[in-house]
Formats: sequence, structure tokens, C-alpha cells
Amino acid sequence: MTTPARRRLMRDFKRLQEDPPAGVSGAPSDNNIMLWNAVIFGPHDTPFEDGTFKLTIEFTEEYPNKPPTVRFISKMFHPNVYADGSICLDILQNRWSPTYDVSAILTSIQSLLHDPNPNSPANYEAAQLYRETRREYEKKVAAIVQESWNDDDDDDDDEGEEDEEESKAGS
Amino acid sequence: MDQNADASFDPSKNYDEDTLAQQREIEKEIAASQAMVSQLHTFDEIVEEYSQEDAIYRQKIEDLKSRFKNLRKTRGDGNCFYRAFGFAYLEKLLNDGKEYKRFLDIAQKSKDELIGLGFPQFTLEDFHDTFMDVVKMVENPGTVDGLFQAFNDAGLSDYFVVYLRLLVSGHLQQNADSYVYFIDGERSVKEFCSQEVEPMGKESDHIHIVSLTKALQIAICVEYMDREGEKCNSFKFNPFESLADDTDTAPAFTLLYRPGHYDILYPL
Repeated sequence: MTTPARRRLMRDFKRLQEDPPAGVSGAPSDNNIMLWNAVIFGPHDTPFEDGTFKLTIEFTEEYPNKPPTVRFISKMFHPNVYADGSICLDILQNRWSPTYDVSAILTSIQSLLHDPNPNSPANYEAAQLYRETRREYEKKVAAIVQESWNDDDDDDDDEGEEDEEESKAGS
Repeated sequence: MDQNADASFDPSKNYDEDTLAQQREIEKEIAASQAMVSQLHTFDEIVEEYSQEDAIYRQKIEDLKSRFKNLRKTRGDGNCFYRAFGFAYLEKLLNDGKEYKRFLDIAQKSKDELIGLGFPQFTLEDFHDTFMDVVKMVENPGTVDGLFQAFNDAGLSDYFVVYLRLLVSGHLQQNADSYVYFIDGERSVKEFCSQEVEPMGKESDHIHIVSLTKALQIAICVEYMDREGEKCNSFKFNPFESLADDTDTAPAFTLLYRPGHYDILYPL
């Protein structure tokens, strides 16, 4: 049965394919249009560059009147991302507008990587390092960038202290 | 699922999600118990909502009863003003072909105006299409029952509300200079719109009502019912009042405001 939410998600998907924004991609999972998988490529000139970060987007039948729940699946180190991967971003909460679509959501998260808001931290360590010792912050981010390449096989173990990595990102 | 907890408060936990989940539970309960737009009620039914001791409100209901025949309730989900406005106005248009034509024209043109203001075309069109579908239900054979069905169909009713919200946002942004001093907090008009106008479920204040009546050029009346005085205070929102020609100022319909909520009133 088609519902307003599903109809709209089909349109969102079509638009994402026809007019894909740079550096993000997303698609509904195989058997469930209410659950999407997405990837955000770390923006250039940021410590996240070359990272390929996976996310899930979970919609309810209230979409687009209510925002979806968006979560990083890849490990993330960012002032506004919680340990469980959920994201502290105003447009996904109290500033949600029904005029946003999947494309707008993903590009907003992409620019959040670019431009963290350390004043509403979800990850205190990241926020503190971002403010006070940017080099340390960048090192930590570099570690999760490398981890993001290994996500394909089941990501259980993470300890990214190895240096010397073959870069396999196409970028 | 890390734990970096330093005390009882766990900074790595996303408490916002719990809050949102709670909010959704409350919304579900409201949705299950209240129609988006109700059938007509009499004031003899409404007065029973108030206890015998609540003399002030019971007296005010009597006041309404002397001037109005019925009341139609809307769901208390933060969208009640828009839903009441939309239903009451389209219901009026069923019997006013001339006004319908005028409104249809404004509604058609509004799409390009909003896109011009920077609203994303792709999603705006979706809302506009549905909005126009509902508006056109007024045309032959428009019936109150048809509107009633549409306004209780979430897919139509909520999209209609979204579009009214976008019209308010558009009007405020177009006239930002006139409204910026009426916004509380250190916010720009655009910020106000993204926080208090566009998100569904955000309640309406005086400024929202002024904007919508001006955007659509519709005069309306609101009866305010609170604990002050003996009668309801009647307030007219008249977008024409600054114009020399005020022939069109009879309110299109009347709403009842009880603290935090709008319903529709039907005159005797």
C-alpha cells in the first residue's frame, strides 16, 4: 500500500538519482523503503577528507512532516555526533522543515563535518580537542577516516593506532 | 555504546532521542483520541467539559451560546490554528464562488512566489499540488462532507497545513522589516520562521495569524475565552484595515481561542 510518506520517499530517491549532490549518496534498503543506507564522503580540505562514512536513515509514516532518525554506522569522531552514531543537528530536531528531502539532509550533515558546532557537543572529547588542540583533533579524525575504509567487513574491532596505510579511496 | 560516563549524567548518550520518543508517544495518544476536524458540537455538549465550580468558563460558554449555534473542534496537535483556518475558509468558499475565484488565483500564484524566496522547488511543488487538490474540492460538487473527509485524511490534511505554514513563512520573510521587532529573542525573521513557523506542530501566535490573513487577504474574527471578564473578547484580524477601501472586511469566519487551542465557531 502506498502512503504519503512512501510516495514522497520514492520521489526523494528519484531526485537523488537524477540530480545527485556532490559527495553524498543514498538509497532505500532492498526490501524496505522506510530504511535507507547512505554514504557521505568526507569533504575536501577538512580532516574528514577521503573518508567514506556510512549512515542509516530511518523514516516513519509521518515523514516528511517529521524528520527521520539519522545515524552514523561508521565510527565517527566529531563534536556533534554521539557515541551511538546519532547526530546533534538542529534541522533533524526542532528546526525540521517538511521542505527538506533526503538530499538536503545528507548535504546538511556533510556541511556539519565541515563546520562543527562545539557549543552543543555530543562528544565532549571531540569538542574540547576541536577547540583547544586542533592537531590532536585532526589526528583522531584521521584514525576514523582510515577505519571508514575497512567498514565493508563486519566492523567489530576498532583500534586505529597503526600508521602506514595503503590509500584505497578513489576520492 | 561506549561509556565515558563521569557521573550520573552520561555525556555520550543522546538524551534528545529519548525526549523525541516521549513526544511521539504523547502525539500518538492525542491522535488516537481526537479527530483532526470534528463533527459539529452544540454548546450544551461543550459546557459539560467544565465542572460546575468553573463558573467563569460556564458563563462564557453561555455567552457564546447566545451568539453561535455550533462549534467544530480541531485536534490539539499544535496545528489547530491552520487546520481550523483551512477548514472554516474552504467551507465558506462552498457558498461564495466569487471569493473562491479570487482565492484560487492567489493560491496558484503563491507557488512561484515561494520558490522565488528560496524554498526548494522540488518539495514545495509537492505540497502545492496537494494543497491545490484540496482547494479544488470546493468546486462542483463541493460538499462539507467532502472537506470533512479530506481534512481527516492525514496525507491531505497535514500537507495542507504545511503549505499554510509555508505561506506564513513566505509572508514574514517578504516583509521582514515590518515584523522583525515583533519577534522575541535575538532572532532574525528567517530564524523565527525555521524554528516557529515551518516545523509541524509549532503553535501559532498573534504574528502567525496576522501573517496568514495578510498573505491570503482574508479577514477573520477570533473569540478569546480566558478567565478575564464576563464575556469572550472578540478580535478581528483585518488585512484591509490600512486600505481606504474596506468594503471587504466582513470576517470570513470566526474561530474560538481557548488557552492554547483554536476551534471553529458557527454563528446562529
